[in-house]
Amino acid sequence: MQVTFEKVDSKDQEQAVIKAVEVTDEISGAIELLEGDAKGFAVSRDGKTYIIKASAVYYIESVDKKTFVYTKQGCYDCKYRLYELEVMLGGYFMRCSKSMIINLKKVRNVKSQISGRIDATLLNDEVVVISRGYVKEVKRRLGIG
Amino acid sequence: MNKFKLWLEQTMMISFAILVGIIIEGLCYTVFGGDPLYEFKMDWLQMVSIVLTGAVCSLPTVIWLMDTDMPKNKYIVRIVLHCIGLYAIVSLFGLVFKWYTKIDGFIFMSIIYFAVYIFVWVVSLWFHKRDDNKINKALDDIRDEE
Repeated sequence: MQVTFEKVDSKDQEQAVIKAVEVTDEISGAIELLEGDAKGFAVSRDGKTYIIKASAVYYIESVDKKTFVYTKQGCYDCKYRLYELEVMLGGYFMRCSKSMIINLKKVRNVKSQISGRIDATLLNDEVVVISRGYVKEVKRRLGIG
Repeated sequence: MNKFKLWLEQTMMISFAILVGIIIEGLCYTVFGGDPLYEFKMDWLQMVSIVLTGAVCSLPTVIWLMDTDMPKNKYIVRIVLHCIGLYAIVSLFGLVFKWYTKIDGFIFMSIIYFAVYIFVWVVSLWFHKRDDNKINKALDDIRDEE
């Protein structure tokens, strides 16, 4: 497929147009990746409901069957289950353990532990654990697996 | 199923390490002489003994070392216990299957065991470090600006 890149001056002008005969898995993946940041979903805090953009999310955690979304502004409750958010957000959002989804775009750096698990330091200086079983998928998502 | 697959992988890896150890020991005895009772041979019993030892040694590996959710110090204690446990298993099976018959053979086998054990961990840590660098480099390309 021929790909054309055109530079624009601001974020508001950014858009992607895909011209194809049919929507293949590769094209679906590309759409999912491009749309990922723009997607929004409902969360709540102190009885108020907010719509937050996926790009604002650092990580999502499930504790006692409740889902919590962590952003720079703090923690929010979410009605969706982890597996639903995993499908909904896609792209660089991925499971890093049974109870957590991480936004790879918010990871500052990673450091392997002797046990094979990876400690990921986020942009807000929090450290989350990527379990050994998910390391392969992290590498695949980053295109190095 | 995942643990079974890990067990099979570990069995193959450890069996291969034991095979290398036995071949080195056999070559040294053959070239330099040593235990007159020792005869280097690679028959089916030898092969079965190697795979059996590998299978038994891989059990503590799968049970103890695959659980990574624990503090670093606790994990290091597990590694030390794992090393001693495997050493005991290899020594026992080596005695039963006559990989060594005298004390010098036992010492030789012990040296090879610890050398292989340390080598495996060094290689493993080197792979981890290499993966870290690759992942960090890939993250640099996609990271959000804040």
